[in-house]
Amino acid sequence: MAEMWISMGPQHPMTHGLWTLKVKVDGETVVDTIPDLGYIHRGVEKICESRDFTKITTYCDRLCYASANTWAHSYIYAAEDLLGVEVPERAEYIRVIAVELQRIASHLIWLGAFCPDIGNLTAFVWCLREREMMMDLLQELGGSRMHYNFPRIGGVKRDLPIGFAMRARAKLNLFLNRIQETEQMLDESTVFLVRTQGVGYAKPEEMVNWGVTGPNVRAGGVNYDVRWAHPYSVYDELDWNVSVERPSIKGADSYDRYRVRVDEMRESAKMCLDALDKMPGGAETHYTEGDPMILGKSKQRAEEGQTGFHHFEDSRGESMFYLAGGGEQRGKHPYRISIRSPMFLTIPYAAKCMIGYKIADIPAIMGSFDPCIGETDR
Amino acid sequence: MGMKTRAEYAEESAQQVVDAAATRWQGTSLVAEVRNHKSGMARPYVFIDCPRLHWRAVAKWLRFEMGVDHCSMITGIHWAEGPAEKKWEVVAHLMRMNVINPPVKSGWTEQVIRDPSILQDNDVPMEFEISISIPDTTTPSVQSVQEVWMGADWNEKETWDLVGIDFEGHEGMRRVLQPHDTPVGFHPLQKQHMIRYHDYEIMYDDPQGFGRKPVDEGKVK
Repeated sequence: MAEMWISMGPQHPMTHGLWTLKVKVDGETVVDTIPDLGYIHRGVEKICESRDFTKITTYCDRLCYASANTWAHSYIYAAEDLLGVEVPERAEYIRVIAVELQRIASHLIWLGAFCPDIGNLTAFVWCLREREMMMDLLQELGGSRMHYNFPRIGGVKRDLPIGFAMRARAKLNLFLNRIQETEQMLDESTVFLVRTQGVGYAKPEEMVNWGVTGPNVRAGGVNYDVRWAHPYSVYDELDWNVSVERPSIKGADSYDRYRVRVDEMRESAKMCLDALDKMPGGAETHYTEGDPMILGKSKQRAEEGQTGFHHFEDSRGESMFYLAGGGEQRGKHPYRISIRSPMFLTIPYAAKCMIGYKIADIPAIMGSFDPCIGETDR
Repeated sequence: MGMKTRAEYAEESAQQVVDAAATRWQGTSLVAEVRNHKSGMARPYVFIDCPRLHWRAVAKWLRFEMGVDHCSMITGIHWAEGPAEKKWEVVAHLMRMNVINPPVKSGWTEQVIRDPSILQDNDVPMEFEISISIPDTTTPSVQSVQEVWMGADWNEKETWDLVGIDFEGHEGMRRVLQPHDTPVGFHPLQKQHMIRYHDYEIMYDDPQGFGRKPVDEGKVK
C-alpha cells in the first residue's frame, strides 16, 4: 500500500499541548514519525538572564502548568547550590510536603487526561475531583491555585497554616481510599486494558540512553530514583518506597506506566503524612513569616565564575537547572540559566516507540509518557 | 525507612573516576577533580575540564569504560566578556545511573531493586560535569557525541538552535525550538542579542522606571 505522511497536531486531543507529530503511515500501521516542537517557545532562559535570582522563581512556576511547584523547587535547589545557602530542616520538610502534593496533583491530571483519550471519561471526572483536594491544600500553602511562587532561596517564606496538618491528614487519607476506586474501575475495564496492554514497549537501558527518566524508567522494572541516587532534602528520613513495576519480557508497556504512576501517588501521599508527623517543631506549630526556623540567610549575588546545578525528581522525570554566575551584571543576575526538561528528550523517544503500531495506538502510547509541552518548549 | 547513597562511598567512587582519568588522559590538558555541591547534603560530583579536540574520545571513554549511561544535558554559554581562550563554553551534564534491563528467569522478568546503602565503587550513581572551552571565533564548534548517547541528539540540536555552537558530525541538525524559517545565523542566547520590549533596546528589570536612561525619555513602556 502507498505510504503517506499525516500531521497530528498542533491541535489534536492526543498532543496534550501544542506540538505536531508527523506520522508516516502504511495503511493503518505507523512506519515513521517526526516530532516537531517549539510552538510555545517563550524564551524563559533569555528572560531569566535579566532577572534577579529571587524573581526567577515566578518564571519557573510557569514552565509547567500541571506541576508548577516541582519546577520552582528545582530552580531553588540549583540557586542554593550556586549561592551556597544552608536551608533549615523544618523548611525542607515543608518543601517535601509541597512537592509531593504537587506530584499527586500532576499525576492525577495526567490520569485524567490519559483516560478520555482511550475511552474512559469517568476517570477524568474522578481524577479532577481528587485533584481538587490537593489544589485546596496547595492553595493554603501558596495562596494561589496554579502558580504558587512558594519556595524561597534559603527555605520557605510562610510556615504551614494553622490547622493545615489536620486538613492535610484527612484529605490524604480520603485520597488513599478514593484512588483505590479509580484503580479498581480502570483495572476492571476491558476497554482500558485492551488499549493499554501490549502497546508501546520500552526497555530501561534504551530509555536511559535516549534520556528518558523518572516514572517511565521505573515502569521498566528498575528502582532508579534521583531522590535516593543523588539525595537532597529530607527524603532519607521519610518512610517511602520507590514504585517499581514488573514489566513483560518485551519491556514496559502503556499499562505498566499507568500502574507505576498510580503507585507513586500512593507513596507520595504516605510521604506527606510521614513528613507531617516527623517535622521538627511539630506540624501544628506556626512560625511567623521569615522566622529562622523556616528561612535561612542567603546571599544576593553570585561570585564570578561560580556555577550551580541540581538534579531534581520532577513528576515527569529528572529535571535540572544549570546556573552560571558572573559576567557584566556582576552576579546580580545569572549569566546563563539552562533548563533540562525531562519531556524534551522523552517526546522523541515516545515518537520512536510508536513505530510498528497502529494509528489508534498513538494516543495510548504518547499519553502514557505524560507529555507536557510548557516545560518542553520553555 | 527512606534511603540514600552513602556519602563516603560516593566520595570514594568519585575519587576512583578522577584517578582513572589521570592515568588514561596522561599527557593531555584534561583536568579531572572531585567537587562538592555547596548546599544541602554536600554531595560529591566529578568535574572534568576537557580539551575541545578530545571531547568525543573522552565521551566514549566515559560511556564504555566508566559506565556513564545517561546524557542529562548539553548546553552552551557565550562568554561575551570572557578571556579570548574561553569565549564560548559547552557544558555537558552526564549521569552514571547503572540502569540495566530486568533479567529474565523462567519466562518472567525480575525487578532490578538496588539497595543504595551498600552501593560501592562503580555502582554508585554519580554526576559528571564536563566543561569544554572554545576560543574566540565566529564559528564555534565541538565534536558531536550523538552516536555515544542518543540523548545527546536533541540536546545538541537545541544548543545549536539557541546558542549557535555547531556540533561536528551531527546528523540531521535542525531548528527545534525556534521556527524553521529563522534567519541563518540567528541564535538568541548569544549575548549580542538584547531583550527588546517595544521601543526599548534593553528590557530593564525595573517596572517603575527608576533606572531609565535619558535616551528613553518620552518613550512609553
